[in-house]
Amino acid sequence: MTKVNQPLLEVRNLSVGFSDGAHSLALQHVGFSLKKGEILGIVGETGAGKSLLARAIIDMLPGDGRIVEGEILVNGHAISKMTAEQRRGYRGGEVALIGTNAKSLLDPVVNVGEQIARILRAHRGINNKDAWREAIRLFEQVGIVDPHRRAHAYPHELSGGMAQRVVIAMALIAQPKILLADDATLGLDATIQLQVLDLLVEKCRELGLAVVLITHDLGIVASYCDRVGIMKSGRLLELETIRSFLNDGPKHPYSQELLDAARVRPLPMGYDQAQNGSQAPPLLEVIDLVKTFHVEGSSEPVRAVDHVSLTIRKGETLALVGESGSGKTTTGQCIVRLLQSDSGSIRFDGTETLSLPDRQFRDVRRRMQMVFQEPYVALNPRWRVRDLVAEPLKLGERLTRAEKQTRVMELLDLVGIASVKADAYPHELTAGEQKRVGVARALAIRPDFVIFDEPTTALDIRVRAQIIDLVRDLQKRMGLSALFITHDLNSVRSLAHYVAVMRHGKIIEQGPTEEIFANPKQAYTRKLLDAELPIEARAEASTPILQTEQQL
Amino acid sequence: MRLSISLRSLPRPLRIVLARLTILVPQMFGVLLATFLLIRLLPGDPALLMLGNMATPEQILSLRERLGLNGSIWSQFTSYLSTVVHGDLGTSMFTSNPVVVDLLDRVPATLELITYTMILTITVSVTLAVVAVTKPKGVIARFSKVYGLAAGAVPDFWVGLLLIYFLFNVAGIAPAPFGRLDPTLSAPPVVTGFLTIDTLLAGDTAAFASAVGRLCLPVITLVIVNAGALMKMTQMVFADNYRSEFVRHARASGLCEWQLVRIALRNSLPPIITMAGFLFGFLLGAAVLVETIFAWGGLGQYAVSAVMNSDYPALQGFVLVAAAFILIVYTVVDVLYGIADPRIQV
Repeated sequence: MTKVNQPLLEVRNLSVGFSDGAHSLALQHVGFSLKKGEILGIVGETGAGKSLLARAIIDMLPGDGRIVEGEILVNGHAISKMTAEQRRGYRGGEVALIGTNAKSLLDPVVNVGEQIARILRAHRGINNKDAWREAIRLFEQVGIVDPHRRAHAYPHELSGGMAQRVVIAMALIAQPKILLADDATLGLDATIQLQVLDLLVEKCRELGLAVVLITHDLGIVASYCDRVGIMKSGRLLELETIRSFLNDGPKHPYSQELLDAARVRPLPMGYDQAQNGSQAPPLLEVIDLVKTFHVEGSSEPVRAVDHVSLTIRKGETLALVGESGSGKTTTGQCIVRLLQSDSGSIRFDGTETLSLPDRQFRDVRRRMQMVFQEPYVALNPRWRVRDLVAEPLKLGERLTRAEKQTRVMELLDLVGIASVKADAYPHELTAGEQKRVGVARALAIRPDFVIFDEPTTALDIRVRAQIIDLVRDLQKRMGLSALFITHDLNSVRSLAHYVAVMRHGKIIEQGPTEEIFANPKQAYTRKLLDAELPIEARAEASTPILQTEQQL
Repeated sequence: MRLSISLRSLPRPLRIVLARLTILVPQMFGVLLATFLLIRLLPGDPALLMLGNMATPEQILSLRERLGLNGSIWSQFTSYLSTVVHGDLGTSMFTSNPVVVDLLDRVPATLELITYTMILTITVSVTLAVVAVTKPKGVIARFSKVYGLAAGAVPDFWVGLLLIYFLFNVAGIAPAPFGRLDPTLSAPPVVTGFLTIDTLLAGDTAAFASAVGRLCLPVITLVIVNAGALMKMTQMVFADNYRSEFVRHARASGLCEWQLVRIALRNSLPPIITMAGFLFGFLLGAAVLVETIFAWGGLGQYAVSAVMNSDYPALQGFVLVAAAFILIVYTVVDVLYGIADPRIQV
């Protein structure tokens, strides 16, 4: 391969260490190069060193981190040989960084137009008026409607997607040649994520930027990148073109593991269909549920849940999908009566629960549990795992100390947490383990019905797959019915028998998972489904062999 | 509805000021009611209390008449309101001056003292905090750590006495700790009540130098004692902001160091404003020991002597002035807070 043009970015044998532990390097011998207009995806799980790599490239290693070995060259110039002032100009001017959670990246007390203008002023000696004009021109280019007015808005007045666009504009304003996007769309709704990524990639192709797209979502890499690098514990395990990675399969076993984990599981069998083939009576029946909230400063109440009706039979899973703010979580909280519903009917195993007095509802609640969205927030930080799992047991029949102990260990075993972790505190657990503890708490008193609120969001690929497998397994073993609230369509396909699509508090479409995915009727459902970035999309297009493999 | 729409169209700072000023009126009314009730809550006849045990029945009767004590509580309050509005706060039993005259003499002295103290306290503590955070291994950072520990533990009168001893007695570079102005100089005509400003307005440089010189030691004393708390809090808030993601992102965007400091400081303003406002109000009465040591003739001293001498009209006057001052300070704090943080709803 002969290179006519010099690589724009070259990372040569880069090792980064922290002075406190010289024996373990945070980055080990990472090397790659990037040409103009090329998009490289770096994939890895939490702690793989992806973000550290980005920060090494932009010369902002955290704490006392330093480059132990190797070099980073931009346009053939080594960063290590630059003066402090050159480095400042290099940051933002040559290489720009787009981080996670755009809202936290913006100065909360300065309007966004000024934030962009001041970056331009720092890089080019132009006056305020020209900088503002430039900022507004760029706002228009990144698809911000009404840029003049938006430029005067403060970050808290923007939506997540809008804030991400502002951050992209911030990155592009000084016309850098390399863009580092570090999990830039994490936490955004799928449709917004798609818009933002489309915009980002389109802009970069248009301007001929080299992009390093750091993510833990292989779907993003498959859809947007030219090459993919897999990272694990500070090493770059393999670097391939996306085509050969997906079609010929990864070379490294870890990459294969990631790819397998990210793939959709075959559709689960219905519990009843598997058992006796007949339709069981519904376990949960929600009819015309309404929940309104009063917003300050407005006389019109907000209908968070607007005449929602749904049915779940024993052993079935219904997935409630929709964008944030569509009322999914509120529906779930109304069902377990964490929120008082305004009207409608919720029938659980034949009992109308809405009108039940609190005392009697406690019996129902024993059979109906909820796994909360933020696992860490939902766990008491000062309790050990053992106590956290034992707590809901108080709801059930009285147990002796020893019985309780065995039950806790059983539960931890069930959700796959090692017994040595029983004495750990929540902050000592990984995000996946925290989710599992949440699941164990919900299952402690053997409920018939569990609501999972976003169980797979913001988790690493393999952990997410483990949680999905766990829920599938539990369902098979215990005949659990579940309401699965999520916006992660990949996990819906792996878990749910039925799907209900929610928008603005209403269910606009529902039906069996296969049917909805194969043949969505509503335009909004189609839009939502299109926003999913499946790994298969590329592979399907090129290799029919792989497709048949998946159907097995 | 129409009013609220027209309010919406006003610029935000103006809206904050208007909203806050409208609350000020009922607040002020509440303060008047409280000071009025203060004297009524005392057991016994207020007239007797005000006049002391030596009063003759005729005196009591005439005072009762003058205070309107014979009417209902409501009519008493309205008559109190009208006297206050007309600038009559009664006569001090101890100095036998009208309380208003006494206060007009003393309030500016204390205000001048604590205003300069506040300016210096904020400057010193914010500077120390910023330098200590941005250069965590520097000399200033180490000094701020020691100072932060010591500042809360040192009593102000002790610092004052030490300063007087070393700078006036031993070194002889500080002026004598007796009052606001050298007794050989004549006071300038009162315009603002602040000697440093009035002397300049009068063009009297000798008096100006003397006023500034006399301010030095008490101001330094108060700054040393009070800057520690503000510094520690600023350091904490500023460090959080300086290490926040948005400052890191600004750094990644290529902004230079002083701009980063400015961004972090701008975001640290709301708690600093609150704390400074609290300190300002607190100093009004808390400066009393320092005022006594430097024979300042300030408000704190006046209040203490009023308490010691059961001088109720003077005390009532002091409470009214102090409450009004604190109200004004807090109003300014609220307004600045709203301007500093655009996320606050108005």
